[in-house]
Formats: sequence, structure tokens, C-alpha cells
Amino acid sequence: MQDWFTQNIAALFTDITAETVTNWFVFNPKEPILFNTALFLGLFLVFYSIYIALKNTFYPRLVYVILFSLFFYYKSSGIFFLLLVGSSVVDYNLGNLVHRTQSVVNKKLCLAFSVVLNLGFLGYFKYTNFIIDTYNSATGADFAFQKIILPVGISFYTFQSISYIIEIYRKEIEPTKNYVDYLFFVSFFPQLVAGPIVRAKDFLPQIYQKLNVTKDDINRAFLLIIGGLIKKTVISDYISINFVDRVFDAPSSYTAFENLMASYGYAIQIYCDFSGYSDMAIGVALLLGFKLPTNFRTPYQSASITEFWRRWHISLSTWLKDFLYISVGGNRHGSFAGFLFPALFFFGLIVWGITYAPTSNIPLLIAVAATAVFSLTFLLSKEKERTMFTNVNLMTTMLLGGLWHGASLRFIIWGALHGLALAVHKIFMEFFPPKAEAKRSFFGGIWTVLSVIATFHFVAFCWIFFRAKDFDTALQVINNIGNVTFDLQQWLVIAEGYKNVFLLMAIGFVWHFLPEKMVERMQRVFKALPIIGKAIILGLVYWLVYAMASAGPQPFIYFQF
Amino acid sequence: MNQNKSYFLQSFAIFALSIVAFLVFKSFLPKKIFAETTANSKNVVIDSLLLEAVEEDSTAEEGDTLSNQPISFTAVDGITFPDETFSDYKGFQHLVQFYEKLYQLETTQQGNVRIAYFGDSMTDGDMIVQDFRTNFQNQFGGQGVGFVNITSESAASRNSIKHEFSGNWKTQSYLNVKNPRSPFGVNGHVFFANDTAHVEWVKYQASKLKNLSELYNPTLFYGKSANKSGKIALKVGNDTICKKLTPNKLVNTLVIGNTTKNLKVDFVKADSIPIYGFNFDDGKGVHVDNFSNRGNSGLPISTFNTEVMRQFQEKLGYDLIVLHYGTNVLNYGSLNYTWYEKRMKNVVNHLKECFPGVAILVISTADKATKYDLEMKTDSAVVPLTLAQKKYAVQAEAAYVNLYTLMGGDGSMVKWVEEVPAAANKDYTHFNYRGAKRISSMIYNQIYSGYEQFKKLRANRKVVKAAVKKDSTTVKKDSIHVD
Repeated sequence: MQDWFTQNIAALFTDITAETVTNWFVFNPKEPILFNTALFLGLFLVFYSIYIALKNTFYPRLVYVILFSLFFYYKSSGIFFLLLVGSSVVDYNLGNLVHRTQSVVNKKLCLAFSVVLNLGFLGYFKYTNFIIDTYNSATGADFAFQKIILPVGISFYTFQSISYIIEIYRKEIEPTKNYVDYLFFVSFFPQLVAGPIVRAKDFLPQIYQKLNVTKDDINRAFLLIIGGLIKKTVISDYISINFVDRVFDAPSSYTAFENLMASYGYAIQIYCDFSGYSDMAIGVALLLGFKLPTNFRTPYQSASITEFWRRWHISLSTWLKDFLYISVGGNRHGSFAGFLFPALFFFGLIVWGITYAPTSNIPLLIAVAATAVFSLTFLLSKEKERTMFTNVNLMTTMLLGGLWHGASLRFIIWGALHGLALAVHKIFMEFFPPKAEAKRSFFGGIWTVLSVIATFHFVAFCWIFFRAKDFDTALQVINNIGNVTFDLQQWLVIAEGYKNVFLLMAIGFVWHFLPEKMVERMQRVFKALPIIGKAIILGLVYWLVYAMASAGPQPFIYFQF
Repeated sequence: MNQNKSYFLQSFAIFALSIVAFLVFKSFLPKKIFAETTANSKNVVIDSLLLEAVEEDSTAEEGDTLSNQPISFTAVDGITFPDETFSDYKGFQHLVQFYEKLYQLETTQQGNVRIAYFGDSMTDGDMIVQDFRTNFQNQFGGQGVGFVNITSESAASRNSIKHEFSGNWKTQSYLNVKNPRSPFGVNGHVFFANDTAHVEWVKYQASKLKNLSELYNPTLFYGKSANKSGKIALKVGNDTICKKLTPNKLVNTLVIGNTTKNLKVDFVKADSIPIYGFNFDDGKGVHVDNFSNRGNSGLPISTFNTEVMRQFQEKLGYDLIVLHYGTNVLNYGSLNYTWYEKRMKNVVNHLKECFPGVAILVISTADKATKYDLEMKTDSAVVPLTLAQKKYAVQAEAAYVNLYTLMGGDGSMVKWVEEVPAAANKDYTHFNYRGAKRISSMIYNQIYSGYEQFKKLRANRKVVKAAVKKDSTTVKKDSIHVD
């Protein structure tokens, strides 16, 4: 026992040098802090003990959390934490200004100013080089790229700030009582760098409530953290480095079947990565007594693309719906902004088709077909005008939503595909309205299964554009997948070569499609465990994370058949 | 109120205890999940000679006799490069005859220079080599992609030529076949059109890249067989033209037609005739053949048949052979590479026998990273392997490029992978197009710096008229274009 202690516990402390301590507290761009790191675990344990001690105070607790949040942000993004503080001062005052201004015109001006300011910041950091690149390739000019580092999480906290001001403008909330409360909302570390995007009207009231966690909250929090850790570090990280990244790096060096599996792999990877991190954020917030909105509800179980967007990255899609879709007219009327982006997009698509016409007719064919399909989605409708507004505004939302994910043409294509699919699904629903009783019948069941499979494959197809490093690579992957032939022998050999990766992918998908009742039963077992039992399970998960992270990349393999 | 407190504390207790639980688990559970095992099945590309060699003598004694002495050279054509140390060894001296050919090409615009670039998956899809070829062709002239296989595992990823083939070719590769039905060609492969029910075909289309926009003087290379009725058929305009194959010599050539952009050739009744591939070059300037092979360690070259290679040499006239290997030799646990050094020295000597007068350039393994304690670092086998490669280069009188140090030495692969935009892939082994371009420039620049040094030495040499060997192969080489 004594030996064990010296080897494992005492060693933890004797290995500490001044340098390691410095590393804990100084920003290292190569190792931004993440929830799934040992450093965060250690820091959080210390932070949490003092937090509990302060729980009956108000301002000391708020200031304490703010300081930790700013430190957390400094550890992920370095000096940019000053940007966070600076922009929060501006936004807080603009919020007050919008609230106090009486005349409608001035109110609108204030609102417009603050939205433009926030988006301007986001645009500068995120899109400057994209705009330079687009301008260069369109005009042949040669402007040099700017060396701009994207501050971590800027997309998320910008959206939160905008929601705060718009909600004040719409009189859905009152401004916070003072700046500290506002900074607490914007900088709250659990959701700071990767969401979920918390809405002011959901979050602000919680600040003023009495701090409280129930037994159920704690159980839910630990379940979310455990699930999140496994999804993010065990499944997503392993399959990406050992398989998906390699295939997407050089798709044509791999067999058709490997290309197909890499696309499926990416579908589960991005879900596990994103939802896993969201779950950890929600879990950590819950431990502190704050309830953040659910961000993912097993999205690949969706039976239609419309349903998919109600279950995937929910905090973003509702944000876009409330502040972008509604702002450009929603399903009632059209607006200049609402028509601008789809018009630009389809115009660009046709121009692209025409430029390639001398070498191949396919681009033009695709461009015309896409434009025709999109037009038909409202021309065939009974309420032509209204459906047109809806679909055009939806398209705008999806195009800009795509662009929000990253500054590249690929994300615009990804958004456009989803926008088009949403419009097609709408017209389909108009012609074949779902019957409530059909769901329960046998054929209804089969229809649902087929719909889920079709929806999943469409989404997985769109992810190819999301993941590939450029348009050519995406087309290569799609082309290679087109060459897949049924050859069980070959598939088994490949599965044997990548058995760890395929096993994890299978676990990811099975977990995703587990019936809700089964998941609930497993959760009940966890909830019934004594404290020590829960701790042991959590400890086991840490070990899993650690052992996965230590596993070196699997050596590359090439197959020949 | 009290109830609240207990739940916060409970949650804290779970957290604190979980850390203790983790430390306990960590002390007795394994350190890694999914130990790295190399999959072994007949479909995974592995170099069988390498496996044998590792099995045989991975325990050989490591002798170190080279590292401290200066390396001096004997004059070739009156040119002697200054002494070198082992640590900075480049061996330009061994490229003098190659440089002389380049010099003739540059000054008189006469003759041609041919390079065979042997490699592994690093040069798959013409990566590195296509940029290497462009560097030479831009500087010294020359057009055409060089020698291309009939089938290739990496045809789809190749940009420098579009290459398709029917699925019924019978392919034998020196990577996993010891005794092929007919000797291997210079590409280490031999292909047979043995499916009598369906016609085998191969299709090439020139790329749009500079110097490679045509299939110059397409010429088929094939070997010896008793089957005298084999034919090839190809379409020219609306006519189908048939040409008879005459497999009399060990290596035969057949000029297919004029320079074109597209070529599709059917093989009719050609079973048992060893087919080697097609050559596309314009007959002047520099031409570089890419003989890349996934999984290759370099050792399979020792199986080349001397007689067959000499006939290839007569027709193609290689001046330089580049050996770019190492990636597949890194993963075998031992850091003692004496076995590899010894065998590769034999490979170089064998090549010199097969291709008389050829210069050899050894390119070391690039950096490769592996995970050590949660962090990606240079694999501990990289430096020992580069040393072994340097030793055999010195001993076998070959020039040497240390790609590992050129890349930036320790930790450079991690940098290449992480920089934006990335230059290498996430397997921390292979380069992407961007990185491959940089690698080829590094190699080219080192060769070129030696060439500039050569020109100075040449201008200052004492011998008034050096006995420049009349290159008999150059003259003969043209025969493939008239044949």
C-alpha cells in the first residue's frame, strides 16, 4: 500500500516543478484548455470547492466565476480575453441605450449599430481572408492575405451578445441590473468557447434566482459529462485521427469502400465531437446550478430534413430562426436581404455552370436543375407567394448559417443543399400530408425507417462538403463512393484492418439509435448508485479517456485487391 | 436550504472521489487501449523481402567505423569534390557523370538525361516526383511523363497523367512475388493479358500540366514469350489499327503512333507475353520515370534480372537512379538497422551491375512522428534509419540527401502537419501536394547546388580535354522512336 502510494500519489506532487506550475496558468496556443483535459479537471476541482463556499453570496460569487471564466478564456485564446471584456462593455451600454431610447427610429438605429458592430468584429476575424480570396479569384487582383488569428468562440459569444440586444429591443427582457451581471452572462465559461448558444432571456433570470441544485440535476450533470467524454475523446478523436482524416487527406489513395466508410465515419465523428462537447458544457453548467438548453437530440434518428434541424445544434438553429429567419421576413413576407443571398447564390451557380460549359455540360446542368427545383418548390404550391417568401428566407438562413460554420465556398454549398432540401421537403409535405394514424401501422413503420435512412444519407452526403479541405477533394470522395461495388470479401478484409476504428464507429451508431427506454433504464441504474459507485464509474471513464489519448496513431495501411 | 448544501457537497464528493478512483485505475489498468498491431493479411501491402530480412538478422552487431574519418574522393574525369565529413555527407562526387550529361545538355542542347525515381507510398500518385520532374524540365528542357505502368494501385490519385485499365490484368509485383512467370521490368512489375474471354485494355490521357500536355511518342515495352500471335489494337480517328507483337528479345519495344493526347490500347491474344508498360517522352531534355510502390522498403530491387535490366538500359539510358525509401522500414521495433544497411548496399551494387555507368542517389527517410506519452514526437527510429541510409550510401559510393534534416530535423513532421495550410497528412507520415512540392524542391536544390559546384570544378580542372565517355546508350535510345 505504501509503495503504491509513493508510486502513484506522491509522484504526482514530486514531479511538479516551477515550470509545470507556470504551464498551468500561462496560455499555450498549442494546448488550449478543453473540458476533456486533466488540467481542467484539476482546476475545476479547486474552483468548485471555493464556488460551493461562496454559494450563498451574490456578487462575490459572480465576480469569482467571471474571473475564472476570463482565466479559462485566456487559457484558450490568450490575449483575446481583452476583446471579450472590451466588446462586453460596448454591448452592455448599447443594450441600455436601446432600452432607454424612446423614439422608434432612434431605437432602430441603436439596434442596427450594435448588430453591425458585432457582426463587423466577427466578419473581420472570420471572413477577411475569405473576402480577399474571393475578390482575387473574381478579378484577378492579388491582395495579400492578412495574418488574422480567429479568437476562440467569437462566433458563439457574438451571437449571445446580439441575442441580448435584440431581445431588449423586442422587449422580451429587461437589461441586466449592472455590468457585472452582463459580463457573467457573456463570459460564463461552460458555454463560452463552443456553445450551446445561450439566450439572454433563458439565462439572465437564472442569475437572479437562488442558487440551487437538486439531486436530479447532479445525476443528469454527471451522465452528460460521462457521455460527452466518451463521445468526444473515445469515439470522435480516435476515428478522426486514425481513419477519417487520412481518407479525406488523399481520398484517391484509398479504396472506394474506405471512402464510403470515411463518410459514415465523419457523420458519427462530427456528431460525437460537437454534441459530446456541448453535453460536457451543459453538465458543467448544471453542476454550478445553471441550466443550459439541450443542443442535440439524437439528430440522425430524424425522419425528415426539417426534423433533423429541430434536433441538430438546436441552440444555433433556434437562434437563426428567431433572429435571422424572422428578421428577413419569416414565412409572412419577403425582404431585400431575404432575396439578396439566394439570388446571388443562384446567379453565381449559373455563372459557374456557364464558365465550365466549354469543358463539361455537367456544371451548367446542375446549376439549372438546382434553380429549377428551387423555383418549383414554390411554383407548385397552392400559396405561391407565401411559400416563395418562406423558402427564399429559409434559403437565406441556411446559406448564412453555412457561412457561419466557416469562411469557405464549401460551407455555402453545404448550407445551400440543406436549404434546398428543406424547401423540397415542404412541398412534399404539401402534396403528401402525413396521416397521424399511419405512423402506427406496419407500413407506416417501414416508411419511417426508410425516411430515417434517406435523411441520414442526405445529411452524411452534405457532410462531405463540410469536411473535405476543398471542393475538388469533396468531388473526389463522391466520385470514389460512386465506384463502390458489393464485395463482401473485400469489405471484411478492410474491416479487419481497421477493426478498432470500425468497432468505435459501430458503438457510436448503435448508441445513437438505442431506444429511449433502454437509455432511461441505464440512467436509472446510474442514478441509483451510491456516491462511491458514481465516483468509480467516473474514474473509470477518465481512465478510458487517458488510455485512448495514449494510444498512438494506428500505422497506415494500404490495401490491394 | 440544508438540502441544497448537501447536493453541492455530494457532487463535489463524487468529483473528488472520481479522481482518486482514476489514480487507482491508472496504476493497474493498461496504459493504452488498442495496442498498435500491424494488420497482416494477404491484401495488405507489405514488402515480403523486408519481413524476411527483419526475421533473419535484426540482432546483427552494429559496427561503427565511418563516423569519425573524413571521406575523400578519387577523381572522375579530372574532377574531385573536396573532402566531406560523415555528418554532412552529400557525395556529389558520385554524380559527376550525371552532372556532365546535364552540362552537355545545358551547353550544347544535345542529348538527353534520364532519371529513374524508385520510391514507396511517399511518391504514390506521382507526388514529389512530378514536381521533381517539373524542376528538371523547366531548367533543362524535356517533355513527357516518362515510363508508366499498365496497372497501378495509385492510378486514381495521379495528376500528371490520367490512367485507367481493365480489371482483368494479371499483375505480378516484386513486392510480394519472388519468382515471377517472366522477369520483372524496370518498374518492378510484370503484367499479363491472360484473360482469353475478355480483352485487356489500358487507357492514358495526358494532363494539362506544363511539359506533360501530350503523350509523347507512345512506346510499348514488353518481354519475351513463345506466343507469337499477340496483337494490340488501338483506334486512330475512326479506324482500328492492329499491330503485331514480336516477343523475341528479353525487352522489346513497339512505337504505337504519333504524339497524342489520348491513347487506348487493347491487348488481343497476348496471353503469357510479359507486358511492362508505356513510355512517353519527346526524346530530348530530361525525363523522370516514377517507379513508386506502396509498402516498398527498397530491398525488392535486389530481385532485378541483370540481363533484362541491361536491355532496358540500352533502350532507355538511365543516368541517375534515385532511391527514396524508409517509411516502411520504421515500424519494426528495433533501432538497429545494420541488416537494412547491408542489404541496401547490395541493392546499390546490383543496380550498378544492371545499369552500367549509372549514378545513384539515396534519399533518406523523411521525419515521421509517433505518439509518446500523449504527445506526437519524432519517431525514435527516424535518426538511426537516416544514419543507416547514409552509411550504405557512403559504402556503395552513392550520393545522399538527408531529407530529415532538410525538413527541419527533430519534430519537423509535427510542424508540417500542424501548420496552416497543412503540408503533411494526419498519419504524420505522408505529405500532401503542398508538402510534396516543398520536398521535391529541397531534393532538387541539393542536386542543383552540387551541379553548380561541379561547373566551377570543371572550369578549373587541369586536364585539358577530359575523356568524356561517348554515351552509347544515347544513340541507341533513339532507336525506340524509329523502331
